Amino acid sequence: MARYGMALDYKNCINCKACEVACKEENGVLLGADKHRIWVGVNEIEGVWPNLSITSSSFLPSQCQQCDNAPCEEVCPTHATYYDENGVVRVDSDKCILCSYCMNACPYDARYVDDRTVTVDKCTFCSDTRLARGLTTTACQNTCPTKVRTFGDLDDPESEISILLKTRDHFSLKANLGTEPKLFYLT
Amino acid sequence: MAEAVTNEGIVAKVKAFLATIPHNKITLRDLLNYPKTPVNNFIALLTVLFLAFFVIGVGNYLIHGHEAYGVTREHPWGLLIAVYIFFVVSSTGLCIVGSLGDVFGFKDFEVISKRAIFGSIVTILSGFAVIAFEIGHPIRMLIWNVLTPGLRSAIWWMGTLYGLYLTFMIIEFVFLLKHDMRRAKIFGLIGLLVGLAAHSNLGGVFGFLNTRLISQGVFYPTYFILTAFITGIYLAFIMMGFRYRLNFPENIRKMLVGLAKIQGLLLAILMFFETWKMMTAIYGGVPGRSDVAEHILTTWPFWAEVLFGMLIPFLIILKSKGQNVTGMFWGSLIGMVGIFFMRYDLVHDTQLKPLQMMETRVYQLPPEWVHYTPSVTEIMISLGGLGICILLYYIGTKLFNLDADTEH
Repeated sequence: MARYGMALDYKNCINCKACEVACKEENGVLLGADKHRIWVGVNEIEGVWPNLSITSSSFLPSQCQQCDNAPCEEVCPTHATYYDENGVVRVDSDKCILCSYCMNACPYDARYVDDRTVTVDKCTFCSDTRLARGLTTTACQNTCPTKVRTFGDLDDPESEISILLKTRDHFSLKANLGTEPKLFYLT
Repeated sequence: MAEAVTNEGIVAKVKAFLATIPHNKITLRDLLNYPKTPVNNFIALLTVLFLAFFVIGVGNYLIHGHEAYGVTREHPWGLLIAVYIFFVVSSTGLCIVGSLGDVFGFKDFEVISKRAIFGSIVTILSGFAVIAFEIGHPIRMLIWNVLTPGLRSAIWWMGTLYGLYLTFMIIEFVFLLKHDMRRAKIFGLIGLLVGLAAHSNLGGVFGFLNTRLISQGVFYPTYFILTAFITGIYLAFIMMGFRYRLNFPENIRKMLVGLAKIQGLLLAILMFFETWKMMTAIYGGVPGRSDVAEHILTTWPFWAEVLFGMLIPFLIILKSKGQNVTGMFWGSLIGMVGIFFMRYDLVHDTQLKPLQMMETRVYQLPPEWVHYTPSVTEIMISLGGLGICILLYYIGTKLFNLDADTEH
């Protein structure tokens, strides 16, 4: 029993998209599927050459924020969306009726329709795949060349992520909505 | 064997009960036997065309799934959701209009009770026919809605309460047909309350979207009830207009004048609400609300909603102080076009603002507004819903006596 979260040292991201490829490979996401499970948001450099604002260019790796107070779980009419024993927000594809309410309710646009099961799906921290095989890393974390992601148990005070969150400033996306994400962006 | 006997007994009892419901024996020939006026022929042709659209649209959906629709990840709710809302708003509205007479005891409005309650049944059935092809797994919904109900979900409450509402409306209609006014009143009141709860929950489906600032809040759950009443009155004019070919007997005219006056008040309240909604949305420049509201003001469906759904019918009522009931028949037809845009705008505008504003692909421009165009399949199923509604209503007019009973 754990409470999994992820810290992202997002300023280290070089937008190589290795995480997207690894996620597709690990979780069987269909080729060509855009923004399924994870993606990297890009802010282009602002200004006109030669007066370019170099600091305006940034990459923001994103995915399901694994909220502790997930709007998608709250709005699901059949409890297809649920928290598993590790606090990961999961979808039971047998119960999903594809009403798409969760897609509208998720503030992070993190949900998509999986064309294989014709149900809504999302990032599950590789719960069905790597964690089920006894591994302790997610595919996106494992492949990242600049070590952007740190995945671990937030309830374990000795875990790498807990220590990182104690020692580094961090923020959550759209924190004002009270969704209490378990993805933390390190500053 | 004993079980078989019991089942047979139940079937016999049901049959005996159904036989006590006053109805006309009709055949297919009776259905085809209508005054062959150009208007009737046109409506009949249109209905058959719409039903054919429905079959083609559903066939296309069954083959291609949601790929046949214009919905996207960023805009998962499309035209079919809007049309479903259009029908269920109509149903709730007709239920309110029908309740004026047989639940609240306003004598003048008793003449429309039976017709309005029947209208509320056929409109909600049409809504269900449309939504069945928008929900990806409707059968699974029936199972898991019961086994693992999501009690914090407005969709669960809306769907479940609408199911109950339909049941109560049918029971009320049966008692109205049997002229059992006491029971009709009881079930009418329960049905009305359940219907209002269901309908405000439908508003809550949008009102609970904390991340969609343009829809979030108390506005939609209350506005849905107001616009339902308005829709019900428009439909009352349309149904009575067709029933009496615009030659209204005095008691019907009196009832319609009463409805027109109520409608004038309701439209004034609606315009007042809408004005304040837009002003509070724009004020302060809050991102995700102000920019969306300003964008809405530049879109033509919003002005179609205002012009057809509110202004034109309101001016017709105002000009004649509600006395021009023939004018209001035409005003109501225009009004229903406006109500359709109202539903479409509600669904589309909620999803206008992208939730993720960064580029994710090379050469992609940052998302600005989410675009959506209904596909041909969606349009066909939507028109099919209208065809089903007209057909069911027409069959009802042949099968039942929808006029008020003389001793009523």
